[in-house]
Amino acid sequence: MATRRQFVVALGGTLAAVAARVADGQQRPEAPGATMAGDGYVPVRRIPRPAAAKRLTPLERDALERMLACPCPCTLDVFTCRTSMPCGFSPRLHADVVQLANGGYSADEILAAFEQAYGEKILMAPHKQGFNWVGWVAPFTAVGGGALAAGALIRRWGRRAAERRAGSVVAIEASDDELARLEAAIRSDDS
Amino acid sequence: MILLGELSLWVGLLMAIWSATVSFAGGHLSRADLAASGERALYASFAFVVLSSIGLWTALLTSDFSLRFVASYTSANLPAVYKFSAFWGGQAGSMLFWCLILSLYSAVTLFANRKRNRELMPYVSGTLATILVFFLATTAFSANPYARLDWIPPDGTGLNPQLQNPGMAFHPPNLYLGYVATSIPFAFAIAALATRRLDAEWLAAVRRWSLVSWLFLTIGITLGMWWAYVELGWGGYWAWDPVENASLLPWLTGTAFLHSIMIQEKRGMLRKWNVTLVVATFLLSILGTFITRSGVIESVHSFAQSPVGSYFAAFLVVAIAVTGFLVATRLRDLEARAELESMVSREAAFLYNNVVLVGIAFSVLWGTLFPIISEAVRGSKITVGPPFFNTVNIPLGLLLLALTGVGPLIAWRRASVANLKRQFAVPVAGGLFLGAVLFALGMRDGYALVSYTLAGFVFTTIGQEFVKGVNARRRMHDEAVPVAFVRLIARNRRRYGGYIVHFGVVVLFAAFAGLAFKKEYDLSLTPGASFSAVDPYNRTWTFTSQGVSRYEELNRQVMAVVLEAKRAGMTPTLIKSEKRQHVDSRGQPTFEPSTEVGILESLRQDVYLVLHGVSGDDRETAEIRITFNPLVWWVWYGGIIMALGGLIVMWPQATRGGAKRRAEGGYVVVMQPSERRTVEAPEPPVEAGV
Repeated sequence: MATRRQFVVALGGTLAAVAARVADGQQRPEAPGATMAGDGYVPVRRIPRPAAAKRLTPLERDALERMLACPCPCTLDVFTCRTSMPCGFSPRLHADVVQLANGGYSADEILAAFEQAYGEKILMAPHKQGFNWVGWVAPFTAVGGGALAAGALIRRWGRRAAERRAGSVVAIEASDDELARLEAAIRSDDS
Repeated sequence: MILLGELSLWVGLLMAIWSATVSFAGGHLSRADLAASGERALYASFAFVVLSSIGLWTALLTSDFSLRFVASYTSANLPAVYKFSAFWGGQAGSMLFWCLILSLYSAVTLFANRKRNRELMPYVSGTLATILVFFLATTAFSANPYARLDWIPPDGTGLNPQLQNPGMAFHPPNLYLGYVATSIPFAFAIAALATRRLDAEWLAAVRRWSLVSWLFLTIGITLGMWWAYVELGWGGYWAWDPVENASLLPWLTGTAFLHSIMIQEKRGMLRKWNVTLVVATFLLSILGTFITRSGVIESVHSFAQSPVGSYFAAFLVVAIAVTGFLVATRLRDLEARAELESMVSREAAFLYNNVVLVGIAFSVLWGTLFPIISEAVRGSKITVGPPFFNTVNIPLGLLLLALTGVGPLIAWRRASVANLKRQFAVPVAGGLFLGAVLFALGMRDGYALVSYTLAGFVFTTIGQEFVKGVNARRRMHDEAVPVAFVRLIARNRRRYGGYIVHFGVVVLFAAFAGLAFKKEYDLSLTPGASFSAVDPYNRTWTFTSQGVSRYEELNRQVMAVVLEAKRAGMTPTLIKSEKRQHVDSRGQPTFEPSTEVGILESLRQDVYLVLHGVSGDDRETAEIRITFNPLVWWVWYGGIIMALGGLIVMWPQATRGGAKRRAEGGYVVVMQPSERRTVEAPEPPVEAGV
């Protein structure tokens, strides 16, 4: 009963959240708890490490930018957005990445800095931890469960069909005339 | 004309309300006069929606900027073709466009069934009219394209430059034609449920419309990929954007239905499942539209903020409740008339194919909605982008590809070991051979290798089926191979059209796998400077900048870079990429600068050039990206082949003498009874693909 109630509460909460978002209209990028420029851009700056040698190669930097979501509604990553359909965000995020990379920060540290500033939303895919596991696992669970259910169903149907066959006459004893009529009937059924 | 158009919108709405009311009343009370009145009102509604659409097109083409819609989506200097296509470029116009297609489809359905399915038709017309009422009311009250501005601006804002592409003239209409066509099977499903006439009658009416929907969605999705590739400049064609996902959802469930309907036709099974798929396909179309128009999920495709989202949400809830009630109260009528006998049968393969197709649809929907669910549960936003969708869907897609090859090889009802050995030997060998060759040639990408191996398996399966069919015809009719090939398809369109669709799927997967070998280069080139790059086939190319040029065109200022591309054995070719700043008729910038990519196309790969911008003191150094995209053209070919196969499947086949023709095709068991004996019932000559 408690499980059922929790399910209803969770479902209600989700529907309410959807309804609230519909009522609010299109969501704009937000940067919770950080100092933001007026348009939602959050500067991500760190003091360069002393005598920092540039650690990321351009290719590594590009790969890193592919893991960061552009906060504009393009739904692209920062690298793709800034190099194809630049908005007001991606070039500034790129500048921040370059500055951090030149300041001696590793890819993981840069990602963490962006996540701290923008929240997990800045990552192109959620971390595989906590509730996010539900997101990652649900599709495979659904397909696996569906396949198992289909298999069980087919087995059950197969048993029933076998039982029916056992209790009925399988062979058709027919004369030539009857066979000819059967053939004609099958053919007309095909059309 | 504009006033007439506006009035027609309202009169069309009134007609649809009348049609819905009296159609249902006619069905419920068994009053033919009311049902006929409902149908006539639906025809009339169609006529008024046409008038309303003509009114809006007139306003667009004559640049009547007193209308908010015209001023928001066109400008005086916009080419006429884009003024025409601006009709579906914005929220309000596209809603009216939806109404136009729905009313057209409704009229065609009523006309085609004027002498058929008469018990179902009052409910069919009532359901279609109800859907039309919803769309017309939402248009009239919430997104009215005839809304006036308080003042008349001298020029309009213009159409988003990225929509000024031939692809956009065709991509949205095809998607809409596909989305809206799901309404017809849904209406028949509701009618069958309401009247409890859940026999094969309604399925026959539904199948062709499901194919119409599938065909247009296939074309629309392919065109959308092509448009994204040539226009957006990010070098890909599918970004798992929520709106792209929304178009894929009904396509997936529609494809599942087109397979499972065969099991109901042949064996009377999966009746509940088929009704569910028909309903789900329609509801997913509406959900997709809701996602596009509500702003509930961020997307580059989203229309501006508008209250229509609330209307769609309410409609979805009502539609789910009504259909849920109808299905729940008719479960007994939907009992299967036969049962699957074996795990190793074509029915079982189709069932697994359905599980995977619906599973992919679920994973796409889940990934699209998971940010909302996560926010509701955890209170923090997340992004679910391509890394998630690729991780989840690539294995599922490969599983689907494998089943595409397995299904046609297994016999109906129950396959014997001997049958399996005989059928699978060549296709499995074909797939393994291709995989081994590619491995020997150095291919090491796991997914790509599996993809090509499975593609080889499915391709050989299809080839084997055609070879068997052609040989049978040649034996029986002594025909030449091309003649036998054409007649084989023509005389069993469902089966061989389906195989052609499967072939298109193989081509698509092969093209998708090609992207694993994509190569990119970012560089700065001063005029006359050269750059060498190695493509995925290990061939060296040299690109030489011909300089940056600046000029004006009809409604834009253009900055372009031209590169000369050379490689051994190829005539040097020029590629141009542009940065465009669109301007209105007074020369004022209207949108952010956009990119026009340069593409050097070939069957092996595309050389894809994007101008990011210019740098240097003299602004002559081009900042560019060159990408080698292998096998991209095969994506478009795959889409074309699938559409062609769909057309063959859909093409009407004369029913008289059908059995005779199939017998000529070599696929009817001919019994020659010479004495009284025991025989097995012959396997029906059924279709394999869609």
